[in-house]
Amino acid sequence: MTGFILRRLAQTVVVIALLSFFCYFLMTLMPGDPIDEMIAANPTMTAEDAQRLRELHGLDRPVHERYWNWVTMIAGGDLGYSRTYRVPVSEILGRSLLNTSLLAGAALVLSLLVAVPLGVWAALRKGSRVDYFVNLFAFAGISVPSFWIAIVLILVFAVYIPIFPAGGTTSIDFGMTPGEALVDRARHLVLPVLSLSFLSIGTFVRYTRAAMIDAMSNDYIRTARAKGLSWDRVLIVHGFRNALIPLITIVTLSFSTLFSGAIITETVFAYDGVGRLVFLSIQRNDFNVAMVAFMISVSWVLLMNFAADLLYGVADPRITYS
Amino acid sequence: MTGAKPRRGIPTRTAWRLGLAVVALLVLAMLYGLAKPGMTGRGELPTNHGLKIGITQEFESLNPLIAQMSATFYLYSMVNRTLVSIDANTEFTAQLAVQMPTLENGLARLVEVDGVSKLEADWEILPAATWGDGVPVTCHDLEFSWEVAQSPYVSIAGPELYREVEQIRIDPENPKRCTFLYREARWLFNRRFQFYLLPAHLERRVFEAYGDQPEGYEKHTLYTTDPTNPGLYHGPYLIREVKLGSHVVFERNPTFYGEPAHIDRIVVLLIPNTGTLEANLRSGSIDMVSTLGMSFDQALAFARRVENEGLPFEVLFRPGMVYEHVDLDLDEPVLVDVRVRRALVHAIDRQRLTDALFEGEQPPALHFVAPADRWFTDDPERLVIYEPSRRKAASLLEEAGWTLRNDGFRYDAAGNRLRLRLSTTAGNKMREIVLVYLQDQWRAIGIDARIQNEPARSFFGQTMRRRLFDGAAMYAWTQSPEASPRSTLHSAEIPTEENGWSGQNTPGWANARVDRLIDELEAEFDEDRRLDLIHEIMWHYTNDVPVIPLYYRSITSVTPANMTGYLLTATQVPETNHVEDWNLEPARGAGAGERQP
Repeated sequence: MTGFILRRLAQTVVVIALLSFFCYFLMTLMPGDPIDEMIAANPTMTAEDAQRLRELHGLDRPVHERYWNWVTMIAGGDLGYSRTYRVPVSEILGRSLLNTSLLAGAALVLSLLVAVPLGVWAALRKGSRVDYFVNLFAFAGISVPSFWIAIVLILVFAVYIPIFPAGGTTSIDFGMTPGEALVDRARHLVLPVLSLSFLSIGTFVRYTRAAMIDAMSNDYIRTARAKGLSWDRVLIVHGFRNALIPLITIVTLSFSTLFSGAIITETVFAYDGVGRLVFLSIQRNDFNVAMVAFMISVSWVLLMNFAADLLYGVADPRITYS
Repeated sequence: MTGAKPRRGIPTRTAWRLGLAVVALLVLAMLYGLAKPGMTGRGELPTNHGLKIGITQEFESLNPLIAQMSATFYLYSMVNRTLVSIDANTEFTAQLAVQMPTLENGLARLVEVDGVSKLEADWEILPAATWGDGVPVTCHDLEFSWEVAQSPYVSIAGPELYREVEQIRIDPENPKRCTFLYREARWLFNRRFQFYLLPAHLERRVFEAYGDQPEGYEKHTLYTTDPTNPGLYHGPYLIREVKLGSHVVFERNPTFYGEPAHIDRIVVLLIPNTGTLEANLRSGSIDMVSTLGMSFDQALAFARRVENEGLPFEVLFRPGMVYEHVDLDLDEPVLVDVRVRRALVHAIDRQRLTDALFEGEQPPALHFVAPADRWFTDDPERLVIYEPSRRKAASLLEEAGWTLRNDGFRYDAAGNRLRLRLSTTAGNKMREIVLVYLQDQWRAIGIDARIQNEPARSFFGQTMRRRLFDGAAMYAWTQSPEASPRSTLHSAEIPTEENGWSGQNTPGWANARVDRLIDELEAEFDEDRRLDLIHEIMWHYTNDVPVIPLYYRSITSVTPANMTGYLLTATQVPETNHVEDWNLEPARGAGAGERQP
């Protein structure tokens, strides 16, 4: 087990290093550079000034040299300077990352709380009206665009029945007690979380249902029943546990995509998250912000894959790490 | 298979149902607990206690020397002021300075230094002006900004205007008075509203510690590390809280030297999705939308809804100084002949275009100078005006050797079809519609016009910058009032590899007479003579048609119905430059300015 973990961690580090160079290289292929943004903002900028600034920021050097400088800077604990926001990257990224983690985490928990019981229920009632209803709900979740559901939620719960804020991350009120601030924070999360969960619920319901139907149709379920085990034990220990393998895969992968999927939700709800930050930094050639965000995203995907591999063993003892 | 099927009536079914019901109840209870009926204050008019403004554009650190985004300057104008500014009537006025130095009032003088003609000007800062921490605003602050702007290690977006100043001499008796020596004798010296001030008493030590490192000053400036420090600001408001990507909270500055602001607190909220601005307004999450908010078509639609539904808002429009036009690539073989370019203008009806698409709120353009600018003219004696006429357009094309065939297109003697590529920024709905109109009008005179739009990133980053548009490209320029058109019209500003693609004369227009006129214009101190010079440039511009003028974009804003003293500005100086006049309780604050008609 320890050998497996160390081997996988080493592989993860190598993949992250390779992907970082690949991402950096791709960013340099995009037309224009940060100095072009300055020229666009100031038509009177001279060619000499543009050249001076390119040299100052190292933009005149070859890609591998720029990449190496970036790696050295990161290794030294400096995330760099955002040329979009004109502040150190750590200053903006930390807060946004925390906000997005909260949003994505809450959406994932809600999705699982709703989707897993619904999926199991539908699987146990395959072909019934309940099953058809759950399927309809799941397909609606998968098909409806997230920006549409977000706007509908705003109109219904912020405009026509004004019980939740239309957007933002918190209320701007300096007189709130910590308790009030916490409730206020949660209130601002409700609509974005509902919007973000809708798609995940649909996907998770479909996977849970399919995996449960598959698991419950195995011979060992009949054997377990024949041995006189209680239905609950058969369902949970023999059925649901075996259905967990595909579910673990989809949940761990979804958790990493929740970050990128949150861009639209964050934009519509004016939520101060990392998705919007990354989108803007790519648009404006802000290498430092984009690269750090890429690395977090890539690391997250790899770590979640790693976590999935470990969880497979927990869910199914037949899987070994030798 | 039978083993997989649950039996009816077993407790599990009930257990699952119970489980689901518990989850559902938990979720509903949580939502109920968090819900707060009427929390958003829908339908309530804001008071002078507080105002929430929605903007859709991102903002950055508020250090004026390194900032570039329009939204940052929108915010900056609430907290800081410059020596001169442009008022709502598009007139240059003294703001932080006691008065604008001119040759006429004797505060500016032409001098000769080492045989070179230069200019000296005496500036005096308002005696009562202090930073938010009580330290007086002095010429030392001007001198410090000037030093920082010239540092090779700081990324300043517009260092040229600081470099125009060769020397600053501060009066030892009164540090609020100083004399600027300008390298060249240019009449624009007293209109540099972008000459920003930094608080030397706070920022100098940061600059001394980090100014010799690349990006060192940017990373450590107090505008980034301590943005709520009152000593950084001297305008009508101070900053209480800044969260980049989210909001800024302003509170009235008790030490402001001018009239105190009416509104106690202003919150500017970033709402990046323009589609949700209206929902935010209606729900009461914001009270108004700034000029950096709704798109023009959205504002038009919202204005109709305000009228029909009696909503407590006012939608304001004002023609601005953003000039929408079509650049013609003068190196493109079909566009080399001026008759073809003139035919393109004759073939379109700009008045009909703006009436149909913009309900007449965006005036058609005749040239690059907007109506709000003192230099504007529509005098047919001073311009070449092309009335809409397909007959004239067709006749010009015939003269140029393009004859109409049965397929409805024109061909030259060698049998080449008259083709033109049209492009603009993909995703900009208004421009895309305008381009379809142009395509339709030009097809009607036999031109095979084909639209090929690109994302803004590659359109501006590559295609326009390197003059690769091969035909006609629609976009906009933002003009300053009475500004030299050098960067867009002088032949030295044609982007080339040699000049690092830095110019903005993207059509590639080279007219020796216009080059000379621009040089003369920049050195001419006589206002009437300047008017003659710019009008002659306009005549050449409209005669040669390197660009097809379309319309001047209007700026829009949505304000609460009870707001007075709010004036839209046509220039880059935002409306927040007179934020102290905004009043939400007119009865309590007599004397505020008038609402924009």
